[in-house]
Parts: sequence; structure tokens; C-alpha cells
Amino acid sequence: MSAGHARRAWVEHLMGTAASIHVVGASCDSGEAEAAVAACFAELREVERVFSPFRDDSDVSRIRRGELAIDAADPWVGEVARACEEAALATRGMFSAHWRGWFDPTGYVKGWAVERASAHHLAPLMEVPGIVAVGIGVGGDMRLRTAPGSEWTWHVGIADPDHPGEVLATVDVRDGAVATSGTAERGAHIVDPRMGVPARGVRSATVIAPDLTAADVWATAAVVAGRDLSWISAAPVTSGLLVTGEGAVRRWISGVEVAVATAA
Amino acid sequence: MKKIVYGALATLSGLVLLFSYRTSLGEAVPLSSTATGTGTTSSGTGGTSGTTGTSGTTTQGTSGSGASTGTTGGSTGTSGNSSGLKDGAYTGQAVDTAYGAVQVKVTVSGGKITAVDVPQYPNGSGRDAEINQQALPQLVSETISAQSAQIDMISGATYTSGGYLQSLQSALDQAAQ
Repeated sequence: MSAGHARRAWVEHLMGTAASIHVVGASCDSGEAEAAVAACFAELREVERVFSPFRDDSDVSRIRRGELAIDAADPWVGEVARACEEAALATRGMFSAHWRGWFDPTGYVKGWAVERASAHHLAPLMEVPGIVAVGIGVGGDMRLRTAPGSEWTWHVGIADPDHPGEVLATVDVRDGAVATSGTAERGAHIVDPRMGVPARGVRSATVIAPDLTAADVWATAAVVAGRDLSWISAAPVTSGLLVTGEGAVRRWISGVEVAVATAA
Repeated sequence: MKKIVYGALATLSGLVLLFSYRTSLGEAVPLSSTATGTGTTSSGTGGTSGTTGTSGTTTQGTSGSGASTGTTGGSTGTSGNSSGLKDGAYTGQAVDTAYGAVQVKVTVSGGKITAVDVPQYPNGSGRDAEINQQALPQLVSETISAQSAQIDMISGATYTSGGYLQSLQSALDQAAQ
């Protein structure tokens, strides 16, 4: 983190994980910052109320039990359902909201919700004098913003999936999103929707993209794609990194894989 | 799939740049390479091989399937270090991508990749701004001062609410609260 800037962090537990919002700059303690952060958390809790598969009374749970039609549910549900279909098409089936056999958009909602809440409530902070940057991270995925003209750059650490507590790589982002999917924290929980079997070829995949909706979808798709990196030239992502099941690291930028090989 | 391999010699004074086009079968086809310095060969990932050249040459790249012809250049580096990367600016051959030819320039300083620029990209492309903003993830093992890396946020596989307490992100949040 750049020296000389005041900074404040807020943390709330929601969506089964922890959400952190960092505001950087002399005005990080201002009323504007406080109100924006509170509104951002409130919007995420509202999304959780509609979409949580762990709440019996959520719209998604009622749809699963056949008590509610998607069309009759909160308008967000239809919006997310359509977006999930588009993501399934774009990833050629590597991402799916129906891999369980019923509509479960859990893998899409977090990225979509954080992107949306950040745009609604945190982006306007970039206009507040004395605030140079604002970022939100939810369970290892983040949306970061920097005020135009500011010298601030976010230094993002990418967790080492095989060494808890250690950073494998870093990437600098001024305005964009970073998402990581993998088996490090919760085991082989990502299922290849095309085969119905857990994806195991990739330990961890990190994707940097202009927005978190895309970064999140493609990080999941990257885990499913495994050794096949052919998707990177067509995906709306800017760069990324993955750790294979064998522990090798592969990186790409601009749709091109980049390898640094030390010759003997 | 397109792939660019940057090879840097750790022990010899020469520098080898390898650019390969990797087919969908995973077979790497070397397109061109240029070496500054003498008596060097190298092998990049995917089984590509390099050829020797003379110092300061600029080699016209040959085209292979799916790749456009471009100019390959390299600058000599001086300081070797533990990362095995020599300081200098390395310009890759233009490679065709889904949205046009892309040419990548990598700058190594202090053994660390300090910049990845895309000096050539399709004119009028809506992706120009995105390309200019992007950065290649930098491996900590490539940096000399890994311990001094300043981190603002951590990206990792989703942790549970309980797992958060042990996470690096939790430590960063506490430092700013």
C-alpha cells in the first residue's frame, strides 16, 4: 500500500464469507464514505435474502421447491437467470447455473452482486474530494477503483493455494476486478457441468477483468477448462494466472500465454 | 493457442527470446528466435528450441500457422540475479489473437518483470483501453524482494466466514481498521 494515504476498512460477514471495503484517502472517515459503505453492505444483504440457497425462505429456495416461478420472483432472479444463460453460452458450457439439476445461480450471484453494489455505492465515492481509491473484496474476489488522476495503484496478492497464508504472485490494478476460483479452501467443489464430475486439473485460477461479473465467471470456467487455455483469447479478461494440479504456474495477458523460461 | 515464451539465460551472458505458436493439440511450433551473445542455446517450455545469433541483431520473424510475421528484437541485459531474468526490454513477435495481431513488450528491471506493454494492437479496437490497463501477474519467486511486497488486498479461493479469521485478508483489514 502506498505510503502517505489514510485508509479505513469495514468488514461484514455475509454470503457465507467475509466482505471487506477499503476506502483510501484523507476523507476515508467522512460521512460520505460511511454512508456509501453502509449502503453497499445493505444491498449485498438484500441480494443474499433473495438468492441464498441456505435460507428456506429465499426466492431461489422457493423456486427449487416448485413454490415460485422465476417470472413471479424478485426481478433480480430473472435478470440473473438470463445472465447465467449468456455466461453458459459464452463459456461453451464451462459455466452453468443448472449443474445440480435445478436452477442454482450461487456461482454467479456473488460476482454479479458485488459488481452491482460497487457500481451503485462505491463508484460515486471517486468524486468525493480526498478519496483516492475504494475497493471491495468478498471471499477472495474483488472490485477495485481508483480516482482519475490519482497516483494510487492497488497491489493485489494472489494466495498460494498450496501454502496457506502465503502469496504466490502479485498484480497491480487501478480499475478492475480480480477473482480466484479453486479447490484450496473448500475442496473439489467446482463441478464440470459438461460431465457432472468435479474439476481437478487446476488448483487455483485467478482472472483479472474489467468487471467482477466477468472475472468471477471466467475464473470458474478456468478451473473447469483445466489444461486447455484456448479460451483466453476469446474471453473478456485481461490477464490471469493458474496453478495446475501438478503445481505448475501458467500466466497469460492479452489472450496470449506468457512463459518465462530460464535456460540452462 | 498462442503462447509467447521469454527465455533468459541465468549463467551465460547471452539472451534468447523464443516465440512459439502452440497448437490446440499442445504441440509447440517455434516461429523465430534471436539470441544476443555467443554460443548460447536454450529450451523453452513446450520443447521449443532456440538458435544463436549475433549481438544486437534484429531478426525478421517467420510466419507460422496462425501467426503473423513480425519483427523480433532484444536488448542485452547486464545484471544476473536469483530470478534468472536479465534486465532489459524484450519485444515479442506479433501474434495473431482472436481480435487481431498483438505484440508484447516485457521490461525486466532488478530481475523482476516491471512492465508488460502491448505496443501493437489492432487500430480502432474497443479493447485498446483495457489492454493498456492490464498487468501480468508477477510471481513472488521472480522478485528479489518478495518479503517487501506491499499488498493491499488478497485474491484467493473463497473462504468460509470462519476461514476468513485465519486469512491474510483479515490481517490486512485489521491493519486498516
